[in-house]
Amino acid sequence: MTSSWFQDPTLLAAMLGALLPFVSFVLIMVFTRPYPKLSATISVAAVSVSVICALFLLGRHWHLEHPIQYTTKWLVSGELYVPFGFMLDQLSLLMLTIVAVISFLVQVYSLGYMAGDPGFSRYYAFQSLFAWAMMTMSIAPTMLQFYIFWELVGLASYLLIGFYYEKFSASEAGKKAFVMTRVGDIAFFLGILLVLLNFGNLNILDMNSVDVTARMSPALITLCAILIFGGVAGKSAQFPLLTWLPDAMEGPTPVSALLHSATMVAAGVYMFARIFPFFSKSATAMTLFLAIGMITMLLASTMAMVTRDIKQVWAYSTISQLGFMVMGLAAGSYFAGVFHLTTHAGFKALLFLCSGVFIHAYETNDMYEIGRQGGRGLKIPMVCMTLGAAALSGLPPFSGFFSKEAIMGGLAGLHNPIWLWGGLLGAFLTAYYSFRLIFLILFPSKIKEPHHGEHGGHGHGDDHHHAGLYWVMAWPLIILATVTLVLGLFQTPLENFLVGHYGGAEGHGGGHHAWLLYVAVGLALSGVGLAWLEFGRKGASQVGFVERMEPVKTLFAERWYIDHFYRLFLDYVIYGIFSNLFTRNDRQVIDGGIDGICRATVGGGRMLSFLQSGMLQYNLMVMFAVLALVALYFFF
Amino acid sequence: MNSLTTYLFLAALLFSLGIFGVFQRRSLIGMLIAIELMLNGASINFMAFNRFLAPDPIVGQIYTLFIMGIAAAEAAIALSIIVAVFRRLGSINIERAQELRG
Amino acid sequence: MEFANFPYLSTILFSCVVGLLVILVIPAERKMLIKWVSLVFSGIPMVLSIYLFFAYDKAQGGLQFVEKVLWVDSMGIYYFNAADGFNLPMLMLTGIVLFTGVLTMWELELRVKEFFAFTFLLVAGVFGVFMSMDLFFIFVWYDVSLFPMYPLIAIWGSTRKEYGAMKLTIYLLAGSALILPAILYLFVNSGLNTFDIVALMQPGVFTPFQQKFAFILLYLGFGILAGVWPFHTWSPVGHVAAPTSVSMIHAGVLMKLGAFGVLRVAIFLCPEGWQYWAQLMAVLATCGIVYGAFVGLAQTDLKYVIGYSSVSHMGIVGLGLATVTVDGLNGAVFQMFAHGVMTALLFSSVGYIYEKTHTKMIPELGGMSKIMPVASGYFILAALAGIGVPCLASFWAELLVFISAFKTYPVRGALAICALVVGALFMLRVVQRTFYGEKNEQFEHLPDLTFVPGIPRMILAAVIVLFGLFPSVMLDVIQVASVPFINGLP
Repeated sequence: MTSSWFQDPTLLAAMLGALLPFVSFVLIMVFTRPYPKLSATISVAAVSVSVICALFLLGRHWHLEHPIQYTTKWLVSGELYVPFGFMLDQLSLLMLTIVAVISFLVQVYSLGYMAGDPGFSRYYAFQSLFAWAMMTMSIAPTMLQFYIFWELVGLASYLLIGFYYEKFSASEAGKKAFVMTRVGDIAFFLGILLVLLNFGNLNILDMNSVDVTARMSPALITLCAILIFGGVAGKSAQFPLLTWLPDAMEGPTPVSALLHSATMVAAGVYMFARIFPFFSKSATAMTLFLAIGMITMLLASTMAMVTRDIKQVWAYSTISQLGFMVMGLAAGSYFAGVFHLTTHAGFKALLFLCSGVFIHAYETNDMYEIGRQGGRGLKIPMVCMTLGAAALSGLPPFSGFFSKEAIMGGLAGLHNPIWLWGGLLGAFLTAYYSFRLIFLILFPSKIKEPHHGEHGGHGHGDDHHHAGLYWVMAWPLIILATVTLVLGLFQTPLENFLVGHYGGAEGHGGGHHAWLLYVAVGLALSGVGLAWLEFGRKGASQVGFVERMEPVKTLFAERWYIDHFYRLFLDYVIYGIFSNLFTRNDRQVIDGGIDGICRATVGGGRMLSFLQSGMLQYNLMVMFAVLALVALYFFF
Repeated sequence: MNSLTTYLFLAALLFSLGIFGVFQRRSLIGMLIAIELMLNGASINFMAFNRFLAPDPIVGQIYTLFIMGIAAAEAAIALSIIVAVFRRLGSINIERAQELRG
Repeated sequence: MEFANFPYLSTILFSCVVGLLVILVIPAERKMLIKWVSLVFSGIPMVLSIYLFFAYDKAQGGLQFVEKVLWVDSMGIYYFNAADGFNLPMLMLTGIVLFTGVLTMWELELRVKEFFAFTFLLVAGVFGVFMSMDLFFIFVWYDVSLFPMYPLIAIWGSTRKEYGAMKLTIYLLAGSALILPAILYLFVNSGLNTFDIVALMQPGVFTPFQQKFAFILLYLGFGILAGVWPFHTWSPVGHVAAPTSVSMIHAGVLMKLGAFGVLRVAIFLCPEGWQYWAQLMAVLATCGIVYGAFVGLAQTDLKYVIGYSSVSHMGIVGLGLATVTVDGLNGAVFQMFAHGVMTALLFSSVGYIYEKTHTKMIPELGGMSKIMPVASGYFILAALAGIGVPCLASFWAELLVFISAFKTYPVRGALAICALVVGALFMLRVVQRTFYGEKNEQFEHLPDLTFVPGIPRMILAAVIVLFGLFPSVMLDVIQVASVPFINGLP
């Protein structure tokens, strides 16, 4: 490896792309913290190189036959060999591109959104840290490296959620996110340890090969799969570890767009896809994942139906879409899951970035309030957000429609129809809550400021923005909206690209069901229609059917009391029982015991000291008596 | 009468009186005098053994001279200690000097 | 290699002793001179120990830089210093922590001369234990390093300092009261009439029974210093009471002395005893890991929190030693190093905050990130290292220990791994309460860490990150010692 690495363009591009953001992180943290402009330049420059490298790699290896691996020694201990390296195959190239592109767009957008923030340099440092960790994770050749950067991505998430650390809720949310994902990660870690000990190798390609079944018993594979899925549940906010994600919206909006919707939370799904053949060796585990995905999707959709916070809606919808992807993968449709991940990354980032423009402009997260203040006046974000919502609801011809149909197709192929009906119900709810939000902003019941047009959304709105900043924020929206529009049309090339390799693992489940197409679109449209009836039409009450039922509304708004359960668990079990008990034990039993011994020693000394009267003549007398006795002993 | 035993008795008597005095007297001066008595008892022993038993008569006398010298030095040190005690406690009663009580 | 015969190890050791003597000669009023002298004489060991670490010939392995002089013929006591893969990281750790510790105390005004004199005495003992290959000298240096802790804590400390100092001294002396009989027992029963460890560690010198008996005494004796549960309570109390640099040396280096003693004396001389007692060691270590994390959760004093995190982390060292595997040993030694640097950084950051705010109670602080971002940054970095964030030094150590522990003792290993969640919870809780949130108006005017006082923290932070990114630099050295040792086990 002396001179070859810079002669091989693929390796050079992978190294530059994945590692430059780290260099930028270090540079910003160590040197350029006091100079925000310079920091942002460094960070954006690094991530631009990453985008170029990622696109170059994708283009160069579009017709990839075999995965390319480069590894070098990272650590050797005894028989344990931990390599560091890159593994480029279709999936990792796709993910690398998604991450690089969205990171780039979000960083550019942040130039406007975060302008003037006192922590501007810090923000870009953490963004770079995230970009490095996420890209290196995407192209990791072994599960151990995957785990390592997975944790680092979690760290970046912690730091970025708690970015406004003066706010208690923000730092609390960061901590919650870190600890909750940690819970999942522990399971993940145990899972890969089990694989390591029983299979002896953590190379992803080896884990996906047929060797696994030869060296591990089916029960063990199931156990490992479930443990590793713990990581997915943590990172991708699946049931029961789903409540950290809504809280994570405390971070700046671009962060929510990048980490908590498009890329980082999708890492769980990505991992599922990454070792999909391994997971699919255990039917039991797959059924469990299917159930978890469905529960997550439905729970999160219900929560999204009642919240007033614009970011919360998208957060819940992210959870539910992630659940949907998990369902797709667990149903065996590898391509459908990955495709939905791709399209979702585009339209969800779009939705968040649009919301960011509204939040930035009106300084509120409340969608009623944004609507009242004339949110529809902001043309570009309004149009883009509507496009994004349509994609999210699965309306043709947007990208979401194609990927959702693919997953529905996979679900329809299963024997038990409940999965399909669950998926369809989810699609209906998704359309309902997405358009609830759109209609609330588009057609508010009363508007504070007069507007020129009634329905078209023509108006002012740009005036109070600095024009340059607005366009910095608008361009990423337009690019993402374009992607959302056209990505669906690339379904076939993408499928050929991805499935060409895993062809055997793909189960289409009996091809497309024509009726399914109509049912799904029909349900989505009826969801939109219901939202129109309740929120959109003139004179609508703007109170949803769920909100009319007080107990149900409370249940949904309180997130099914999952958070309360965790709070109680923490307070009573962790703090109340273990921590308290152990502390008392430490103070009173262990320390008390030692202090008791010391006190007994001191007390014993005090008892004996009564003999020491201090009277010179007694001392003399004792001396004399002892000497006399000694004399007697020796002489007789 | 002029035998070794007589002198030994006398010496033992003086020594015992000295010990009794050291134990019994509460005054430091008294204790000092009692110690001198003990030393004298020892001196008499040396002289008596020297007179009746020793082949070389000079040794016991030299010891006695040493004892007298030591007694002088001891008296000087003891008296200076007594003066120091008096300055500190305002008394030379041994019962007052109990700072080392446990 | 024209310097091949230069007595590097003795130079390290004696630069502490000479530093001590020079400081004793300087008049106490010349504080600046004393500090500069201390800096020079602590810089020499640091530079040399780092040099030795990289100069060690990994291909050749074994003991290198050997200095062996017969001292007492009739009892076979040698002045025998040598470096191998186990003690090189420790020497480097001590060098770094000593140097940064001296720099951290640059602002000290109270009894400067005595402070640095005691520090050098302490560190001379520490270096002595780490480099000596002679049982007698190990014991002597061990006690030399224990004694100065008492005055250092009792004079310059805070928060119940006399109590802390006394408790620490009693515990540690109780430990050495267990070690001395064990050493004498081994000496007498070997029949070789020598204290030379290399001679004593030959297989067959001790019967299995002798090994089992001596091992448990040595393990408990040294284990007290390593903070083995349930003999750990001296350590949080002592950490809290000690002044900043002493806490750094204490938690960073002195606790490692215990673990290293277990390795160098107990495990080297009684390998069969080691295998016999490994189960017990694993239980105690797991208890320590879980227990330390939970108790740390309930603390309100920053230094107590760090103290209990040390208990938890030293449990990881213990767990690694208990596995009787190459990975375990590697991880344990690496963890000693990583934890040393990490705690030193934690204590030095807390020391700065305490120096400025005069409080280390978590509820009274808050929002410190706003007031002193750099100092807080260092603390947060160290705290993240403490919860095992990857690409920071201690992650690798924990990884190795957990892999080997999970292999050898699945249940205990899994429990210890689960304690990571609690560890993360309590460290992040501290970070949140102390550094995040609304800033405290009262401390608003306080200055942040500037460049020069930042140097020691910078060194420590750089070490954490560099060894986190390039762990094999460390592991390749440790490997050289651990692989032959495990392979040579009966």
